[in-house]
Amino acid sequence: MTKHEFEVAMTCEGCSGAVARILNKLGDVKFEIDLPKKLVWIESDKDVDVLMETLKKCGKEVKYNGTK
Amino acid sequence: KINLCSVSLRVEGMTCGSCVQSIEQRIGSLHGVIHIKVSLEKKSATVIFDSSQQSPESLSEAVEDMGFESSVPESSTAT
Repeated sequence: MTKHEFEVAMTCEGCSGAVARILNKLGDVKFEIDLPKKLVWIESDKDVDVLMETLKKCGKEVKYNGTK
Repeated sequence: KINLCSVSLRVEGMTCGSCVQSIEQRIGSLHGVIHIKVSLEKKSATVIFDSSQQSPESLSEAVEDMGFESSVPESSTAT
């Protein structure tokens, strides 16, 4: 499994909660969310594009920081 | 021909203004959505939409897609 780092413009627990729910729905992923740093780490074999699109669903700005 | 409807969806999981904003922006940009007003206190989203392009269910689904919990209150049938 590859670990990807994303920067997501989350501002509160509601935002990170939404991100967590979206990722849970996607399934097949392990993730960690660091709200103060606005970072999301995702461990998954899925395509980066797929993960990106999924994160974007919450309506926030998403940036891909590469693999960790 | 536009068939205007209005529905108030229940939305759970919003905690701040930025949650409200992202919902308003995203749902507001969907086809057939004329107007949306999200209330943080009431945990609701009031949407005016064209019923030939959207339904209360499809709107609720779109909100759920964003990671919030949403449901269509039974009492409010689109008029």
